[in-house]
Amino acid sequence: MLIEFTLNHKPVMVDAPPDITLLELLRDHLGLTGAKEGCAVGECGACAVILDGRLVNSCLVLAPQAGGSDIVTIEGIHAPDGGPNDLQENFITYGAVQCGICIPGMVLAGEALLLKTLTPTRAEIRTALAGNLCRCTGYQQIVDAIEATAQQRRRQETGVRRSPGT
Amino acid sequence: MTELKYIGKPARRVDALEKVTGKAKYIADRKLPGMLYARCLRSETPHGRIVQLDTAPALAVPGVQAVITSEDFFEHGLYGFPVKDKYMLAYQKVRYVGEAIAAVAADTPEAALAGVQAIICELEPLPAVFDPDHALDPDAPQIGPDRPDGKHPNFLDLLIVRKADPLAEWERSPVKLDQRYSVGPQEHAYIEPEGALAVPTREGGVIVYAPNQSPFVNQGNLAMVLDLPHNLVRVIQPPVGGSFGGKDDLVYETSAQVAKLALVTGKPIRMVFSREESLIASYKRDAMRMRIRLGADPDGTLRACKFEGLLDSGAYASEATFTAWRASIHAMGAYKYNACDVDIACVYTNNSYSGAFRGFGNTEVCSAIEQAIDELADAVGMDPMDFRLKNCLRLGDETAHGQVLTESVGLPECIQTARRLSDWDRKRAEYSAPRTTQHALRRGIGVAALYHGTSLGAEGSDYASSTISVEQNYSVDLTSGLTDYGQGSRTVFTLIAAEELGVRPDRIHMQRPDTDTAVESGPTVASRSTMLGGNAARIAAGNLRQTLDFAAADLLGCELHQLIRADEAYVGPTEEPVAWEQVVDHARAMGLALSAHGKWTAPQITWNHHAGRGTPYMAYHFATQVAEVEVDMRTGVVQVIGFWAVHDPGKVIFPQGAYGQLYGGIAQGLGYALMEQITYTNGYLQETNFESYLIPTSVDVPEITAQFVEAPFSAGPYGAKNIAEPAMVPAAPAILNAIAHATGRRVRDLPANLERVLLGKDLTKGGSAKACKLGLKT
Repeated sequence: MLIEFTLNHKPVMVDAPPDITLLELLRDHLGLTGAKEGCAVGECGACAVILDGRLVNSCLVLAPQAGGSDIVTIEGIHAPDGGPNDLQENFITYGAVQCGICIPGMVLAGEALLLKTLTPTRAEIRTALAGNLCRCTGYQQIVDAIEATAQQRRRQETGVRRSPGT
Repeated sequence: MTELKYIGKPARRVDALEKVTGKAKYIADRKLPGMLYARCLRSETPHGRIVQLDTAPALAVPGVQAVITSEDFFEHGLYGFPVKDKYMLAYQKVRYVGEAIAAVAADTPEAALAGVQAIICELEPLPAVFDPDHALDPDAPQIGPDRPDGKHPNFLDLLIVRKADPLAEWERSPVKLDQRYSVGPQEHAYIEPEGALAVPTREGGVIVYAPNQSPFVNQGNLAMVLDLPHNLVRVIQPPVGGSFGGKDDLVYETSAQVAKLALVTGKPIRMVFSREESLIASYKRDAMRMRIRLGADPDGTLRACKFEGLLDSGAYASEATFTAWRASIHAMGAYKYNACDVDIACVYTNNSYSGAFRGFGNTEVCSAIEQAIDELADAVGMDPMDFRLKNCLRLGDETAHGQVLTESVGLPECIQTARRLSDWDRKRAEYSAPRTTQHALRRGIGVAALYHGTSLGAEGSDYASSTISVEQNYSVDLTSGLTDYGQGSRTVFTLIAAEELGVRPDRIHMQRPDTDTAVESGPTVASRSTMLGGNAARIAAGNLRQTLDFAAADLLGCELHQLIRADEAYVGPTEEPVAWEQVVDHARAMGLALSAHGKWTAPQITWNHHAGRGTPYMAYHFATQVAEVEVDMRTGVVQVIGFWAVHDPGKVIFPQGAYGQLYGGIAQGLGYALMEQITYTNGYLQETNFESYLIPTSVDVPEITAQFVEAPFSAGPYGAKNIAEPAMVPAAPAILNAIAHATGRRVRDLPANLERVLLGKDLTKGGSAKACKLGLKT
């Protein structure tokens, strides 16, 4: 069946079987391998994507359910020049990456949180990551990276809002 | 020594960019045109004889291209180190649920599964052993082959340490402890399941992309079971999505299966496990049952330790005998005794199988001895910190094995620092004060100390190699035979080479291991990369530096000793800097080779297995961890609310990486202490995915305060020792000791799950073969 949706800010139309998951659609039909299959039962978050502004496990979404939605995967997260964005840069700076297999999901979990608030406490960041398993890092440096990004984006936002008056 | 530019300074992990952008290609992300998908038929019987194995019906399934069994391998695919007891596909017998029997290659994953299900495999059930305490009964069903020495075929090995007569010393000790402890198996739970991709070559060989720990071990196994010369077998390391000891044997097995299928079909073959298959088929951390007798004087001076352990190796040996050796060396903890005996026996059962896992025996014994030490401190009436400070190993002390510690012993400082950072004395007093029984939430604070031998020790010859070369574009190409599966060793090697060579780290391209381009360096295990691989990188870069120094002196018309460096540039007596590139050009013009090799071999040490005496390791990592917990007395829920870790890893090379190792290791130890439970019901695993096998999430792990005490080790690169395994080892006993402090009751069996904390015993639970049988079909 034909499935149409917005993927990483661009419209896509793909012909795919109706009984596959969004994860399979992304990986096997669209060639986007940033989302990983870690458990296929919605427990690990390695397959997380942002669907209409919310973090979802793409292994639990049927591909046809993506129709008409706006989906952002890790391939859609980058700076305007194509390099790493501020959150990705902070993941590197704060040492939040080890084996890296959970990291696409972690970056998207961070982005999904920062869409909602730029003033999260560390406890709120931890709650936002609770659906994403990481076996390497103990999460602390991931929390550091998201916290630092929230602060930077807050400063930028404040700066932007102030700029007309200055 | 001149000030270090890169070592110990903030740095960027060399592979972080490709990982944060999702561009890193793990094994499941790699696909070739015409590639076939492979899948294994796995045993649904814990112990059985293969009476019929007919693959013809599978070949009749549309899309199925090939099926292989043990008959397709040289000597039926027998492999294993140090004990050669396993087959790449089961031969004659299966010994555990999940053991691979045949492998199918097909056009699609669905066809591969249909092929697996079409194979006619008849297994005649054999009596099985699930309780290691009965594995050596005279009438126990035989799991292993007959032993030439006449010992029980289910007996694998006995590892000992001997010092004086601990039972006599124990009898004479005024304060005695005699307790039993146990630990269950633990799953590595790397988020990337196992897999491998094989590509047949035109010369009749095979290239295998495998997320394995030790590519050269894999290559050796492949050459052996495929009956190919080494030069026709190439193993390439893709990014690895976590390992923790877990991607050894099973990934070699998977590699052999896809390699054989590639040779048979002439097509690329990929196999990737589901989570269920990963949990059911993979080896675990061994379960261990331990009895500890400790004796002390009333003033708290430790006198005797008698430690007896029984390690359940499961169906195969894998690394169990090495694990048991490391366990035996560390079983008494980092303390001084007048007399000390350790006996660790390992036996076969039909409970899956046990293999390497972070800490490698020390994680198991440390969780017991550090509880026993706390219990004895309590019996003496001493604060656990004071008790440890009174008895712990210090510079110049002799260990229970007879090794004198001549350098790099940071333990007393670790204990004192952890005490201060955690505000131990205040909290310990506050939480020890009498509490009303109605209080539902109780807090406690606990400590554990650690020592952990660096690298392989007397387990085997210990060396590593690196190569380095300057490329046409002035970048520097660095190789190592050791693998980075997430721990950060490629960054460590890069920083060391940059420091030695005097170039920026971003000029260096640190390659992943490839058996065609890297040099064999022993296995990537035992937290040995920083010291062994780091020294090799240091030597290789130093050799290249010498060549460039000659070129620079020639170019600048001066003596070698007159050269100084201004960032990358060379400066001579004229004080006119010449760029590093110019020196490279000049070296080329002089006809000098701009490539070098570095090999480092660890100092020779010896261990007498019969006497249980010797020098087991060249140096030790020391640490102290403190856990603060809150226990809900109504539910048994334990929340770790604070954690402090003070470690002596020698010199820290890559700080973000070292802290990351600590945080991650502690999280794994927290899971081991509280929630990670593996249950075999008559050999059938009950926890087959992450909804039942729980690992710590971001809300289970507290904010951790970590600090390093850097007691340099003279033979380590820049004084570095190790970090990866020691990070995890003391976390569980620190948490267990905190729970005992909070509740007044001790849980001596890990994990301290809700019922053990609340009721002090296990609840009888049902179990069945259902989850396993379903899991092998999804």
